[in-house]
Amino acid sequence: MSPLERAEANFAWKLVLPTIAVLSLLILYPLLYNIYLSFFDVQLNGDKAFVGLGNYTKLLANPDYYSAIGTTALYLLGTVVGTTLLGLAMALLLKDPFPGRGLVNAAIMLPYVAPVISVVFGWQFLFDPISGVFNYLMVDVLHIWTERVNLIGDPDSALGVVILFDIWKHAPIAYMLILSKLVSIPRDQYEAASIDGYGPVGRFFHVTLPELHFVLATVILLRLIWNLNRFEDVYLLAPNVQTLPIFTYYQAFTGVIDQGLAAATSVIQLGVLCVFIWFYIKKVMKW
Amino acid sequence: MASISLKNIVKNYGKTSVVKNIDLEIEDGEFVVLVGPSGCGKSTTLRMIAGLEQASSGDIVIGDKVMNDIEPQHRNIAMVFQNYALYPHKSVRENIVFALRRLKVDEQELQRRLVEISEMLQLEELLDRKPADLSGGQRQRVAMGRAIIRDADVFLFDEPLSNLDAKLRGHMRTEIGKIHNKFGRTSVYVTHDQIEAMTLADKVVVLHDGYIAQAGTPMEIYLDPVNIFVAQFIGSPSMNIVDATLHNDYLQLGEHKLPRNKLSAVSFDDEIPSEGQPVKVGIRPDFFNDKKYFTQSDSSFIFEAMTIELVEPMGFDKEVLFNLAGASIKARLDLRSDVKRGEKLDLLIDLSRVLLFDTNSELRL
Repeated sequence: MSPLERAEANFAWKLVLPTIAVLSLLILYPLLYNIYLSFFDVQLNGDKAFVGLGNYTKLLANPDYYSAIGTTALYLLGTVVGTTLLGLAMALLLKDPFPGRGLVNAAIMLPYVAPVISVVFGWQFLFDPISGVFNYLMVDVLHIWTERVNLIGDPDSALGVVILFDIWKHAPIAYMLILSKLVSIPRDQYEAASIDGYGPVGRFFHVTLPELHFVLATVILLRLIWNLNRFEDVYLLAPNVQTLPIFTYYQAFTGVIDQGLAAATSVIQLGVLCVFIWFYIKKVMKW
Repeated sequence: MASISLKNIVKNYGKTSVVKNIDLEIEDGEFVVLVGPSGCGKSTTLRMIAGLEQASSGDIVIGDKVMNDIEPQHRNIAMVFQNYALYPHKSVRENIVFALRRLKVDEQELQRRLVEISEMLQLEELLDRKPADLSGGQRQRVAMGRAIIRDADVFLFDEPLSNLDAKLRGHMRTEIGKIHNKFGRTSVYVTHDQIEAMTLADKVVVLHDGYIAQAGTPMEIYLDPVNIFVAQFIGSPSMNIVDATLHNDYLQLGEHKLPRNKLSAVSFDDEIPSEGQPVKVGIRPDFFNDKKYFTQSDSSFIFEAMTIELVEPMGFDKEVLFNLAGASIKARLDLRSDVKRGEKLDLLIDLSRVLLFDTNSELRL
C-alpha cells in the first residue's frame, strides 16, 4: 500500500466509524448478549446460572419445538410460493399500459401499506363464525357448508388463514419488484422470438422467465428471510398458530418464563437465517 | 421463396400518419432496399411485412397468402434487428438454432446447418459464448446467422449495420451481398445509408414522408431521379441545386448560357416551357471534370475560369468548391487534377447530365 492509499484507507475508516459504532450498539451488542444468554439459566430477578448446552438439549428434546418447525415450514412454503405466483400473475397481467393503471396499482399496494393491526381486525371480523361475511357466504348464500366454522379458532385451519393473509398483504411487494423488471425487458427480444416462430407461451419461457430469474430469486429469498422472523401478522391474527418466532415468544415471556431457552431458540433461528443470507449473497447476487 | 406485394398500405398511430400510402411489388428472389430519412416510414413498413405492426388499412401479401391477420410466428420470415435482439441468456449456438428447435428440425440436420452457417460467418470459435461477451461486429454476425440458418420465405433487415463502425460496416455490407447471391432469397432491407442502398439493391425504394418517392434500379435512381428530394438523397456528396432561368434557346445559369438543345433529352421532347421561366438546375458533383484531362464531345459545356474556393483531398479524388450563379457548388475531380485553393480552373460537364426541376413542385422537367 502506498502512503497515499494508506491515508485514503484511514480516512475511509474515520468516515464509517460512527455508523459502525451505532450499529454495534444497536445490533451487535444485543446479538452477542443473546448468544451469551443461551448458555445460562436466567432467573427473572436477573440471576444467571451457567448451564452450557443445557438449553439446547432441552430445546431439542421438546416435541413442541419440532411442531413449531413444521408449522414454520408450512407457513414459509405457502406464503413464499403464494406471494411469488400471485405477484408474477398480477405483474404479467398489468404490464402493458391501460387507462386507470395508476389507480389499479394504488389499489394493489393498499394491503401492503395498511397498518397490520387494522387489517388484522378486519380479517378476524370477516372469518368470525357468528357474524362474519365468509361464513354467511359459505353457509347461507352458497350452501357449500352446512354449518358455521371457526376458521381462526381452530389451529389447523388458522394456519391456512394466516398464510392467505400473508399472501394478500405481501403479494404487492412481489408484484412491484417483478413488474419493475418486466417492463425493462427489451421489446425486440419478444419480437425476435415471435419471428423465430414462438407463440406467447414459448416467449414466456424463453424470454420472460430467464430475464426474471434474478428478481424471482430475490423475491423468494427476501420473503423467506422476512417470514422466518414474521411475528406480528401471525400473533395478532391467530395466536394459536405457533411458528418459531411465536414459540420463542411464549418461551420467553409467558407461563413458565425461560429466557435462556428462548435465547437458544433464536440463536438457532439466527443460524438458519445466516445460511439463507449467505445463499442469497453468494448464489443470487453473485458477489 | 416468395414474392411480396403491398397494396395501399396505411399506418396511423392515433392521429399521426406514419405510412400514408404504399403500393409495392417485390418479386421472388429480389433484393429491395427501402431507404429514406428518419421518420419516412421505412422501418414501419418493414415491421408491417414482419407482422410486428398491423397496417391500419391495405393488404400485405406474401407468396399468394394475405398476411394481414397472421401472427409473425406463422409468417415464415427471418429478420435481422437493428440492435440485434439476441437472447442474452442463451449461448451463440442456441441463439442461432433457436428457430430450428421450434421447428423440431432433426438434430443431425440442425448440426449440419449450424456448422455451415458458423463457418460462413466465422462464428466457430464463439459458439459457446454469451452475447454479452461479444463485440458489436460479432453480435451482428450472430444475428445474421440466426436469420439465414432458417428456410424462411423472406429475409427482413432493419438497419442491420447502423451500429457498426465504418470499416466493419463496409465489410458486412459485402458479406450480406454475398449471402444474398448464395441463397437468392427475397429480401427487404431498410437503411438510411444510401451507399448500402446503391450497392445491395436490385431495386431501391426511396421513401419520403410516408409515400414512395421513387422506386427503381440503383442506376435509375441515381441518373434519373424524379424530384429534388430523391436527387439529393441519393449520391454523395449530394447533388448541387442552383436557381436558373429557362429561355427559348438556352438556359441562363448565372453568367453562363447553356445551349438548350443539348440538355437532357427527356426534358424538352415536346412542350417548351415559356420564355423566362425560373427553374432549378441539378448537377451531381461527380459529373464535373477538369478540362485538362478530358476530351470534349458535342454535348460538353465548359465553365471557364471558375475560382476554386476550397480543396478537400480525399485520396483518390478531391472535392473542390466554387461559386456558380450565387450558389456554392461542389465538384469531384480525380487525383490527376492538382488545382490549389484560389486558382482558376476550367470545368467541363456533359450537358445530358444536367437535370432540370420545377421551382415550385420540385419535380423533374
